[in-house]
Parts: sequence; structure tokens; C-alpha cells
Amino acid sequence: MSTKTGGRSRTIAVDSDTERGLSPKTFRLLALGGVGILTASYINVLQDVTAVVGGTQQLFTLVILMLAGATVLAHTISPKTATVLSVVAGALGFAYYLTATGVGVGVVFSSTDKLLSDTVALATGLSLLQMMEAGIWTLGFAPGPVFLSWYLVLRGRYTLSVIPGGIALLFLVLTGDATLLPTLLGTMGAIAAVGFGELERYRGTIMQADVLAILFAVMIVLSLSITLVPGGTSGPAFLVESDHDGTLEGSITSSPDRTTIAGDVDLSPEVRFTVHSEEESYWRTGIYDRFTGDGWVRTGQTEAYDGAIAPPPGETETVRQTVFAEGPLDVMPTAPHPVDIEGDIRENTELTMHGQFHPGEPLIEGDVYNVESAVVNASAEDLEEAGTDYPASVEERYLQRTEDTSSEFEARTAEITADADTPYETAVAIERHLRSSKGYSLNVTRPDGNVAEEFLLEMDEGYCVYFATSMTQMLRAEDVPARYVTGYTSGQQVDDNEWVVRGLNAHAWVEVYFPDHGWVAFEPTPGDTRDSVHNERLEDAREDEEDNIDTERSEDVPVSETETETADADALPFEETDGLGSDTDTEGNETSPIGGDGPAPEQMPDQYGPIDPRTGQGYDPNRSTFDETDFETDDESDETESETPLYAPENVALGIAVLIGLAAGAHRTGATRRVSREAQLQWHGFQRSPEADTERAYRRLELLLERRYRPRRPGESTRQYLDSLSQVGYSFDDRVREVGRLYERSTYGGGVSREEADEAVALVDAMAREELPLVGRFWR
Amino acid sequence: MTDANPTQTAAQTDRATTTEALSIDATAQLCADVADNVGRVIVGHEAEIEHVVTALLARGHVLLDDVPGVGKTMLARSIAKSVDCTFRRVQFTPDLLPSDITGVNVFNQKDREFEFQPGPVFANIVLGDEINRAPPKTQSAMLEAMEEEQVTVDGTTRDLPQPFTVIATQNAIEPDRTYELPFAEVDRFMKKLSLGYPDPAEESEMLARTVGHHPIESLEPVTDIETLRRAREAVSQIAVKEPVRDYATRLAGYTRNHARLGVSPRGTIALLRAAQARAVLDGREYVIPDDLQYEAPVVMSHRIKTSSSSNSNSSSGSGSNENDRHRDGAAIVSDALERVPVE
Repeated sequence: MSTKTGGRSRTIAVDSDTERGLSPKTFRLLALGGVGILTASYINVLQDVTAVVGGTQQLFTLVILMLAGATVLAHTISPKTATVLSVVAGALGFAYYLTATGVGVGVVFSSTDKLLSDTVALATGLSLLQMMEAGIWTLGFAPGPVFLSWYLVLRGRYTLSVIPGGIALLFLVLTGDATLLPTLLGTMGAIAAVGFGELERYRGTIMQADVLAILFAVMIVLSLSITLVPGGTSGPAFLVESDHDGTLEGSITSSPDRTTIAGDVDLSPEVRFTVHSEEESYWRTGIYDRFTGDGWVRTGQTEAYDGAIAPPPGETETVRQTVFAEGPLDVMPTAPHPVDIEGDIRENTELTMHGQFHPGEPLIEGDVYNVESAVVNASAEDLEEAGTDYPASVEERYLQRTEDTSSEFEARTAEITADADTPYETAVAIERHLRSSKGYSLNVTRPDGNVAEEFLLEMDEGYCVYFATSMTQMLRAEDVPARYVTGYTSGQQVDDNEWVVRGLNAHAWVEVYFPDHGWVAFEPTPGDTRDSVHNERLEDAREDEEDNIDTERSEDVPVSETETETADADALPFEETDGLGSDTDTEGNETSPIGGDGPAPEQMPDQYGPIDPRTGQGYDPNRSTFDETDFETDDESDETESETPLYAPENVALGIAVLIGLAAGAHRTGATRRVSREAQLQWHGFQRSPEADTERAYRRLELLLERRYRPRRPGESTRQYLDSLSQVGYSFDDRVREVGRLYERSTYGGGVSREEADEAVALVDAMAREELPLVGRFWR
Repeated sequence: MTDANPTQTAAQTDRATTTEALSIDATAQLCADVADNVGRVIVGHEAEIEHVVTALLARGHVLLDDVPGVGKTMLARSIAKSVDCTFRRVQFTPDLLPSDITGVNVFNQKDREFEFQPGPVFANIVLGDEINRAPPKTQSAMLEAMEEEQVTVDGTTRDLPQPFTVIATQNAIEPDRTYELPFAEVDRFMKKLSLGYPDPAEESEMLARTVGHHPIESLEPVTDIETLRRAREAVSQIAVKEPVRDYATRLAGYTRNHARLGVSPRGTIALLRAAQARAVLDGREYVIPDDLQYEAPVVMSHRIKTSSSSNSNSSSGSGSNENDRHRDGAAIVSDALERVPVE
């Protein structure tokens, strides 16, 4: 008893008047926590964006400032003022970032319409990462809801406080950036805030908190098992990583706005399309500029195609191709740097900001289109002398790296490119390093964290996606503008000017920007292993007589030949440049210099060094060959899940949620109490000291009597309790008295012997058995 | 017992080593014998008789508080006569002096030196009749004797005989002619008992017995002083385990939080001692919570000071309400026994 004698009669714990349940203060803390979780959920989503485009520090600074401000002002300003303030805070957020980046606040007024249109586009499913000004938008977006919701919750307006945060989160769900987990957590935070807020107001009890717990469990289970949340399907879907978006060919053929790097992948031997072309080439389908650490995003929006595109600035060679879709096709493969497209399809064509065509509606089997491409035609010397005078627009967009890029990665890159004096030499050095130091394998475990970094520093093998991703990021680390492109390798050459392209030809490679020339392709993936892997797959498919793996003209061509051809063809792609990009070497140019010139072969190891006989472009072609192989691999590889952990985190989370829900439900219905009491009553537990055993036996006896009769009152001693029961007509057998006597002696007297303790346990055991509903009847 | 060591603890230790404890059963039998013997004089009041006997064994003093004529003095005398020991009676009056209790040094003409004439307090059982009629100065002379079992006269400290038990009575009526006992002194009594009127049947029985000559005149001792000492030793060896101590602490704590002044640590000690004696009566060698519960009303109630029994200068709103609920110590003890968990 630690209370003070002088105290003016305050109730203390001994009074046993303490109510079960939580105080309003606890509920208030829980409600605050709910709003905190809601806020954290959408800030987390925003932070995912800033981690890619930069500005995480500013974001956190802003959020902390807003929280501090709201806390200070919580009881000094009126809600109306606070609403105005939060709008002002949002404006200040924009102004801060605009000023910090030197753009100036004026841009808000000068390009208000742009900000508005971007916002509308976002609400209809455009990911934040696809915005050109994602960083600015993020910093402008965050302060308002953070300030307002925290201000309101501190004033006790729990329901209102959830509204700004909820709107913020809803918006991020609509953009597809909020994945399932943050969405779920945010929603639960909101419900917790409202629920606990109400409980505080009406002085709720723990029983009512049970209902909330059950509600949460139901929400979690439903949302994880039934995918209705938009973020769950349109977003990157972290919880369902095996999604088709994660597969390479999936990403190439559908050319989604973002592609997630997968792990272990398969190959599909199905024929996708046939190309009639004057030149062999890689068939490019997608261009990505923004690296997220685990995937690539294409910024900007697509617009309807309206007329020819300017070719790359340098010398180019025009290549015409006719593409026949052999099945449904979500993309429009073209040799790099398409400048014009003809055919009925033209009305259905859209153009990305990066200069790649996309079909508005997917192509169907039989669709045909003619494309004219301007292939960059630059020699190695030309590229060596290109300099570093990059346009600002290119520097802004193609030098992006994630914030978490480590110094180790940069140091390693610098080491690899130590001897390179020009961007071209840098690119070649990196390309050569990757081709020679890393093996080719479709069976890789997708690393956690930054894929480019992990591949360069930790992994020994990978497939084209890994090679291309790493090379792009390494080039950017060296301040050389580069981008990640996807598409198909040349495919199986069935005639002089005809190539059959299968799913397994899917590939990813790198394009590097050279002033006055444009985008030039580089192939970091080693080709030989890739070829063998892919040909094996095709041969297997033919043996198994799988459907759609050959066209009429390709089926007679042996795989091995195909392979060789492919290899040759690959050479071409190396040179390819984006016609759209405006400036690149024409393929021809590049090819010929390289092929013919000594320099190129020298730079490259033998494997990719050989000139492509057919194309005649020695240097680049070699690389291409290898690339092709990679492409194929990539294709199929996408589909297979890299690794399916035995206990996926989401499954564990689901299981925990179910357990919590069941526990709360059981608690709500009192089942836990009944079960635990029954267990206590029936099972004595392990043997301990005689005293402990005796006490436990007596406790069980009390449970027994309590159920049959009444509980012992707190102020009632053992003796009084047992005596009073016997007085009320409960015909006590001597066993009860004996146990009571032993307990008394054990607790207050000289203790009991082992035998006596065992006797007490045995007596209670016997009485408990008799109490069992069914067994008891037959026990005796 | 001529222990020169003035401290009580040392004296106790000395006694513990020199007296062999009686067995539990013999002690219980002794109590029963004494109670039976007293019962020959006092009709009814078995519980009170038992309380006095246990106090005797637990080295405690008893305060009998009741109206005149219900047998307070007779009870004390019966107890004294049942034990073969010295018994003195002091009638407290307003002009009684401290030396009338403790004794004085008298100059012996023959020996030419001062000689101590022991006062009535030098006896095994002292009956202090109407103790509240003496002024505080005289009452305080009892304090040292009761608590420390010694008396100091003219700078010389003398031990009192062992055992030493004070049975005091006080009148509940005529409050204007009495001095309220100091709280500190009341605290020194282990138990405060109230006899109350006998019921008609008992009163009739009593009348039947006292017609002719009074039974007390023929009362014979049933035990001697040495046996009493050994019985006291036995009581002091009764085990008090931690759960019981904790329970006593909780009870005291409850009173401290529900009254202006709760039970003091001395009160807690008294409660445990009384419970030890109670355990002996039951033939047990250890104390159980029931013993505490049985003794608590008589041991604790008079140690609790509620605002209604003194000045109400510091009572706040809620406090006074609560105190109104608990008009006296007995009610608070009753609440404590009901609400404080036993274990």
C-alpha cells in the first residue's frame, strides 16, 4: 500500500472499483495514431515518388513543418482560418520548391493551365511518376492535407480531420500510385481515427474497441483477397508481384507506361510479327526514361500522331519496313527512330514524347503498316567527337537517378570508366565491362532494392533487363544521358528481307545520346549464352509441336541457322537510333564504320566483335547479335515469378489479420474467457514446488465452485468462502475442505509436503473431471 | 525479572531465551480454562471474555468502554482471579496524581535512607477503573508503564513484573466530567471492547447467580503466573507468513485512505499479535487471514480518527461527504474487511 496517510481519502487500487476499459485519453491517443497512420500512408506514397525524382528531404521538411505548425496553431486559430492556411501552405509548398529549383514562383501563374491539366490527367490513372514535374507536384500536394488534418484532429474533430487526408489518399489511389498496402493502412487509420474518436466522446469501453478490431480484420481480409481497390490492379501492385506487368515480354508487347523488373523468367516461342525490311534491325517498341529502383517509367503523355517526325540531326539512312502482325499486338515495333508511318493504321497511332509509336487500339492479326525509319549513321570517330554539349531538355530528363544511389555504385562506375575520355568511350567501356564480367541467365532472383546497383555490385548473372538497366544508370552516373529501351531482336531471318519475330525475341537495351547525332543503341548483354538458351527453347517448342511458333516460311528453317542469322541481324540494332529523338546516327552509318573499322572490333571482345556478315555493319552488329539473344530471353522470362517465397509477407500479414479478427471476435463473445477458464480448470499444468501446486489446485477449486456456485468475494478468506458455501446447502464433500485446508497451510503455515500437494491436485482433478459435460458422467 | 536493560526489545529477547514455550494445544487449553472460569462469574459475553484472554496472551492491554454497571470491573477481576498472580486496582479520579500510580520514595526512619514504595502499577494485572476521570498528567503516567513495561520514579527506572497487563475501563456517560483520553494513549491499548447490556435471559441467569454470595468470592485460579508466561511465549512464536502481513498492510492502508487518521504501524503490529493469539485458540501454529478479520474490529476501530470526532477545519467537499459515510472507525474497518482483497 503505497498511498499516503495524509491523503484526503482518495480511492486507491485496493478499492477494486477500477472499471475495466480504457480511459478517454487512451482513445484519444489511438485516434491521433489513426490520423498519423493515414498521413503516413499518403506521405509514404509521395515519398516513393520523390525517392525516384528527388526531393525527399524537402518533402519531409515540409511535412514536419506542417505538423509543427498545426500543433502550435491547433488552439489559437479557428477552423476557417486553418482551411485558408492549409491552402496557403500548399501554395507555399509550390513556391518553396519552385524557388529552390530556380524556376521561380511566377511559373505558377504562367503555366497554371499546365498544372491543372496534369492534375486531371493524374486523377484518371496517370501515375505520378509519369509526370514531367512530379517532384514539384508532390511538394505542392503534401502540405495542405497534412496541416489541415493534423490541426483538426488536435482540436478533437476526428471525423472532419479524416476528410483532407482521405481525399489526398483517394487521389493517390486514383493515380494508381498508392499500392494496396498504403491504401489499406491509410483507410484503417481513417476508420481508427473516426472510431476511436467516437469512443472517446461517448466514453466507450474495451468491448466496443473489439468491434473496431473485428472491422479492421474484415477489411484487411477482404481487401487482400478481393481486389477492388484501383491501386491493386492498375498500380505497380507490389503485393502481387507476379503480375503480367512484371514480365519482360509483357512489358514490351503491351508497352505499359511503366515496367517492373522481374526475377526468374520464361521464354515464349510464339510468333508475334513478321517484318519485311531493307535492313536488319532491332525492333524497338518502348522507351523509358525514369528509373524507380525496381523498374522503369515513361514520363509524359502520348499524343495522337499527326504527321512526319523530324529525323535525328546527324547523318541518317532511311530504312522502310512493313510489319505484319501475326497475333494481337499492343505495340508497334519499328526500327529505331521511326519518322513516318503509313497505312490504315495511321489514324490509330499515338506518339510518345520520346518518339516511339504506339497503337491507340491494340493491333490484331493481319494488321499491316509501313514505317519509315531514320537510322543513325555515325562512325565511331563521329561519336568520339560528339562532345558533351547536351540540350537542356535531354539533360533534365535522361540523367535522372534514384536518390538512394550509393557512392559505391558511383565509385565502381568511375573505376570502370577511368580510361574513357569521351562519352562514347565511357559507353563502350561500360558495355564491355558488363558483357565480359556478367553471365547470362534467365533464372535469377530479383534483388531487393536498387536493381541497377545490385546487379553491378552483387549479382553474377542476369538477363537483358538487368544489363540494360545497369548500363543506363552507370552512364547517367557518369553524366552521359542514356535511356532504357525495349523491343525485339531481329528475329529469325527467313528470307533476304524478311524476319520472323517471336516472343522469345523480346529484349531490352540501351540508347545513349550524342549531340549532333541523336540516340545510338548500345548492347550490354552478352550474346552467346543467350542464343543457346533461346534456341533450345525454340527447338523444344518445335518438338512439342506447340501452337503459333512458326509461320509458313519459318518452319523449314532450322533453329541453329536462325540463330546464326539472328546473331548477324543483331549487329544492326546496335547502331539504331531514335528517329524521333531527332538526332542519332543512322543505323547504316554506324554499322558500316564499326563493321568495317578496326576500332570497333577492338573495343569489343570477340564474342560481339565479329561483323555482321549480312548487314555488313561489323562493329555494332556484333553487339546486336548478342542483344537479340537477350531479347528473346527477356520475353519469356518475364512471365515466371522470380522467386515465390514460401511465406510471402502478404500472406503472413493476411494470416495475422485473420488471427487478430478471430481473437477480437472471440473476446467479444467471451469465448476466449470461457475456453481459458475451462483449460485452467481441467489442466493442472506442469509440476512445480509443492506450494505452487497446492495453490494452483486451490485456484482450480475456486473456479469450479465459482461456476457451480458463486465467485469468492475479494474480502472473503478461503475459510469464509468454503464455510459460506456449505451453509447455503452446497453439500460439500470432504475433498473441498481438504483442499482448502492444504491451501491454507501451504500459504500461511509451514507449507505442505510433496505428497500432500499431489493429493490436493488429485482431488481437484477428480472434481474437475466430474464437472465435464459429457465425460464426467462416465468418468467415475 | 530484574532485567536492568531499559529497552523493551532487550527485555523481550531475554524472556524469550529464558522461558520455554508451552505447546499450542496446552496454550489453547489454558485459554479455554480461563474463559470457562471467568464464565462462571460473567454471564454471556463469551466473545469479549475471549478477547480479553487473547489480549493477555498477546501482551496487550484492554480498554473496556461502556456505561456503568454492565460488569466491566467484574470481568477484569474475574480474569485476575483466574490466574494466580498479583492484581491491583486503581480508581482514577480528577485529583489522582501520577505518583499515586507509580509509587514514591519514602524516607525510612529506621534505616535512615529512602525506600521505594511501589504504586499499584506494580502488579501482573492492573485494573484502571474509570481511567478517563483523571487529568492527562496522571493518564500519561500510565503511558510509559503500558508501552515500555517499566516505571521511572525520581530518575530510577524499574521494570514492572511480568506479565503486565492493564485492563482499563472508561465511562461513556458524563462527558463533561471526564478528560478525553489522548489519542496516543488510546493507541497503546491493543483492544477496545464494549460489553453492552446482557440479554434478558442472561440477565436473569446472572441475578440467579449473584443472589446470596457473589461467585467471584469463590473463584479459584486455574493457572499460575509461570504457565501464563510460557503461554505468552508460545503465542509469540506463531508463524505470520508474508501473505498475511501483506493483508494486514492493505487493511491499514485502506483506513489511512478513508479517514483523517488511519491505523498506525503500531496498530498493525497489535493486529498481528492479537491474530497470533487467536490462531492459538484455534489450535493452529500459523495465522490465517480469518484471524485478522476476527480481530480487526476490536483492534483497529479505536485507532481511526475521523473528522467528525475532531475538528473539521480541513475537510474539503468530497472529503467530508466520504467522512459522513464513515461516521466512525468501526464502519471504516467494516468497509475495509469487505473491500480489501484477502489475497
